Amino acid sequence: MHGMKTGMIILAGGVGKRMGQSLPKQFIILAGKPIIVHVLEKVERLTAIDRVVITCPSEYVEKTRTLLAHRNLSGRFSCIEGGDTRQESVYMGMLDLSECDSIIIHEAVRPFVTTKEFQALIDCEYENAIYGTRIPFTVLAGNDWVEGTFERSTLVNVQLPQKFDSAALLRAHELARQEGRDFTEDASMVFEYRTGKVRILEGSEKNIKITDPTDLTIGEAIYSEYVLGRTQDS
Amino acid sequence: MKTCIITGASQGIGRATAVRLSKDPSVGNIVLIARSEAGLAATVASMDVAQVNVKSIPYDLSDLEGIEGLVKGIYDEFGSIDALLNIAGYAAPDALLDTTISDMEKTFTVNVFSMIVLTRECVKYMRNHPSKIVNVASTAGVTSRPGWLTYAASKAAVISMSNTLSDELAEYQIKVYSISPGRCATELRRKLAPEEDPTTIMQPEHVADVIATLLSDDETCLDGQNLIVRQMPSVKK
Repeated sequence: MHGMKTGMIILAGGVGKRMGQSLPKQFIILAGKPIIVHVLEKVERLTAIDRVVITCPSEYVEKTRTLLAHRNLSGRFSCIEGGDTRQESVYMGMLDLSECDSIIIHEAVRPFVTTKEFQALIDCEYENAIYGTRIPFTVLAGNDWVEGTFERSTLVNVQLPQKFDSAALLRAHELARQEGRDFTEDASMVFEYRTGKVRILEGSEKNIKITDPTDLTIGEAIYSEYVLGRTQDS
Repeated sequence: MKTCIITGASQGIGRATAVRLSKDPSVGNIVLIARSEAGLAATVASMDVAQVNVKSIPYDLSDLEGIEGLVKGIYDEFGSIDALLNIAGYAAPDALLDTTISDMEKTFTVNVFSMIVLTRECVKYMRNHPSKIVNVASTAGVTSRPGWLTYAASKAAVISMSNTLSDELAEYQIKVYSISPGRCATELRRKLAPEEDPTTIMQPEHVADVIATLLSDDETCLDGQNLIVRQMPSVKK
């Protein structure tokens, strides 16, 4: 829409516990560069994004700003201190992007999102949209004992990036804050508080979240095979 | 029209490459970098300046801190950087027991560290458009050269660096080549092998031809390799 402003929040709050490293996982080198840089370099090509705010722990704000400076990424990009939770970081990002009508949320540790996927999300007709993939395995409820079943065909593996109407997202966050509820991602929050309808777009199996050390090995293969278009030398 | 940066442009392979590229219709701007103003002037005098814009920049690449500003100035003036030819080299051949820290540091500063810093700064402007980097190493980087310890080790570093950067920069559409000339009639070679008759070995122009071929848009398959460049006895004249 003409005159509409679009902002992006990149969540970079990881502290690297599951990776077994002291360095937050967004800074771990994957395929030749810090994981977050894979994301930043794709976002750089998106002219439809007016501003990008990266939220990260206070002790890594300067390091993130240095990464931006080394790549001549300035102007549209900024880095601020995030909150104690993911939800709080999104909220702080929203406040920073208060002039924007639409917000894209992505996370620093999903390096293989493509520029095309970002653009398709921005261009899609729905105000609120997320990427998701079908779940190719069975999910059960329970801990030590099975306590319930799910119909696999009704489940969606939720991915980022996601797009939300700013007002709908802000309203959902404010309601969650009032009730003291904490959500692990934003589509469920917008759905729970009925502040908007959320469309699901077909995601990609390659858009993995780097969480465990094994993901780094898988990520190297995805980069070589699908980003560079090379097959691994035998 | 390409903008090419050539280091070590005041003599030898750097000068021959500048002359060769000045006749290449796809090259619009050539930036020559070297310490010697007189050497740079002699290079310009040898070039076909009717074909290209030539800018000479007297600069000592061992001043690593100034390289960021140097490259920014080039980009600001020409609007793009499409090829970086890292040709500058330094040699202080000596046996291990005679190798000084000063020579060791200078060799690696000129041959390796300046190359890394220059490449880093240029890549900031080369990202996301097809461009090329050619690093001149040496056969001394792949075979044993007693008496040339620091030079040989520095050239091995250049080969390794090129190999790594070829992969690291592939996503940016930047192709990285390493070429390792064998015996070539340059001033540096004279320092390494003072008794040798330079007319009997490969000439800088031969290496310049190889570099020009690598820079050609038709060359798309040789990046990431260390190319040995040498004149075989059967083709000597």
